Amino acid sequence: MSEQQAILDKVTDIIRDLFDEYHGPVTMETTADDVEQWDSLSHVRLMVMIEVELGVHFSTSEMQSFKNLGDLVNAAAKQSG
Amino acid sequence: MSCDFPWRPPLAQDWSERLADIEAVLADGREPDYVALKTLANQQLGMREQLRIERLAKKLQKAALPNSAFAPVTIGLLGSRTLSYLPGPLAAAGLARGLTISSVEAHYDSVASYAFSPADCFGRPLDALLVVLDESAFASKRPMLDQAAENEALADAENLVTALAAAAQEKSGCRAIFATLPGALQVSSAELATPGTSARFRHRLNLMLAEGAMEGRWLLWDQAALASRVGLENWLDPVRYHAAKIPFSVDVCPLAADNIAALLAAMKGKAARGLILDLDNTLWGGVIGDDGLAGIRLGQNSPEGEAFVAFQNFVLSLRDRGIVLAVCSKNTDEIAREPFRNHTEMVIEEDHVAVFQANWSDKATNIKTIAETLSLGLESFAFIDDNAAERERVRQELPLVSTIEIGDDPSFYIERIAQSGLFDHLPLNKEDISRAESYGGRAAAAEIRAKIGNYDDYLTSLEMRMTIDPFDDAGRSRITQLINKSNQFNLTTRRYGEEDVRKMQDDPELMGWQVRLDDKFAQHGMIGVVIVRKDGAEWAIDTWLQSCRVLERGVEQCVMNSLFETAAQAGIQKIHSRYIPTDRNGMVSDFYSRLGFAVVDENDDGSVTYSCGVTDYEPHQTFIDVSLPK
Repeated sequence: MSEQQAILDKVTDIIRDLFDEYHGPVTMETTADDVEQWDSLSHVRLMVMIEVELGVHFSTSEMQSFKNLGDLVNAAAKQSG
Repeated sequence: MSCDFPWRPPLAQDWSERLADIEAVLADGREPDYVALKTLANQQLGMREQLRIERLAKKLQKAALPNSAFAPVTIGLLGSRTLSYLPGPLAAAGLARGLTISSVEAHYDSVASYAFSPADCFGRPLDALLVVLDESAFASKRPMLDQAAENEALADAENLVTALAAAAQEKSGCRAIFATLPGALQVSSAELATPGTSARFRHRLNLMLAEGAMEGRWLLWDQAALASRVGLENWLDPVRYHAAKIPFSVDVCPLAADNIAALLAAMKGKAARGLILDLDNTLWGGVIGDDGLAGIRLGQNSPEGEAFVAFQNFVLSLRDRGIVLAVCSKNTDEIAREPFRNHTEMVIEEDHVAVFQANWSDKATNIKTIAETLSLGLESFAFIDDNAAERERVRQELPLVSTIEIGDDPSFYIERIAQSGLFDHLPLNKEDISRAESYGGRAAAAEIRAKIGNYDDYLTSLEMRMTIDPFDDAGRSRITQLINKSNQFNLTTRRYGEEDVRKMQDDPELMGWQVRLDDKFAQHGMIGVVIVRKDGAEWAIDTWLQSCRVLERGVEQCVMNSLFETAAQAGIQKIHSRYIPTDRNGMVSDFYSRLGFAVVDENDDGSVTYSCGVTDYEPHQTFIDVSLPK
């Protein structure tokens, strides 16, 4: 299993926890638009949970540049790798 | 990262299953076991457990079930940054302290309009308004080294705060709670000595807020103290401050919410009033029964002994704030008292302890006895014991008692108790300070009572003196406190704010009485409030409540005699009254019948209306000297 996949699995767990009404797929292409509960408010919380769980920290510019979960997973992989 | 809750018990192994049970009951539309829910919410929650409790709290609010176990609080949130991250954690923190907290958020950036325009961004009455401002709320320029400009900025800030407090009163019918500002990052070691700096401005602003709170103009949430507890680096989150306009880090929201919930609990009379202490290894090191007076560790001979002395001093400082102390120890009474009598380093004296339970019965039984002796509910007590097994037993047997996870190192006892927020309180008044004395006196009175046997002789021996006065400025804060805190001896449980009470003072259609009682043991202070609405030749008792500090003393008989005496002098023909049942006031369900009223109606809502003709009233025998209002 690639490092990216391992991180995505952890992120998926968090997303399932946080967005309990969403049952669709979670992939590298998933964006906030796909998940109804994922609004600007829960976005901040999601980022915090991911940072704590993965032990990473995203910079202001990184946060701004994420277009989908894949970007986030890759940024996290870069830090832990 | 210290944003967990070290004073709470550790997470139960079957936490998840137990919460699932409650979730299922709730999904079924049934009332959950609130004590079980409180127990689960009041544990060392991780991020996921926190999320589940928040979700459950939200569902509980939506379900709007009759919930008599928790006190409802509606709080308005107004900030110069977004406070959208608080409602969830606030609701969760409330469950851990016996409150259901619903938050109403103001729109972003409505501080100035709420303060200065007629607009009301809440549009509904609130129990409290939390205002969290940061420097962006105070627009004035503060050039470096310009003391005059700094003074001006501070005056502007005071204007804004005063206007917000007035708006809270007028628009939302509640008090404002202002957050102090956390410290600023320091460029130099001379920040506080340099006019115009952020650090200096915040410092002065916080002092201004504190002074206002002392004068009773508003309440404080000491955000600054909490931020310094977790460290400013942890409190602030610069990335999200800029990205999401949050005033403090999302990570610390559960802790911030708990800190605010402690304050709301104090407002609602849910803070702890009594502290029950174990002895061996809690007040001193070692076991008095085994080690003897010379062997226990207390004071100069060891670092551990010093820690116990410091803890005892801290306990006494709680007593100074009106907290009543009790001892609960597995010991032989005589041996347990020995350090109190003969150890030179002992700080707490026997007289400081209102109830001393040292015997070989189990602690739960003894704690119940303590609560009964002091006529306080179990939920009014915190229990301190170094022994984890005893703590666990008491938690299981008496979940209403707050058993603090004190640990077994005396150096941390003070920290854990302070952090728990269980003894949070509003700015103190004189009545609060003398309360511990009063409880002590009451316990002494209970002992005499046991000795005397004949109850009338006992009451006479108390030499009780009652003073009844109309509502006045001096009594207002305690009157309001009693109106909002009394649950058990309260016939109608009608709540009125300080502003309502002020209006009652001047209302000719209304008569408000404040009742004080002294006896030879203690000044009990204000122990009763009666509000009567006048309607021609007939009066109606709107509110009748008494403090449970002085039960079975003939207080109600004495006040009722006085009321009918006053009514007769005013040429009144009849007095009406009403009992509105709640889950807490069962003890007064037959109050009016006992005092000579006849039932008029039993209403659909469970309330009962009564009346009594003024000439039909037969005065009760009492043992109190009373002085009536002129």
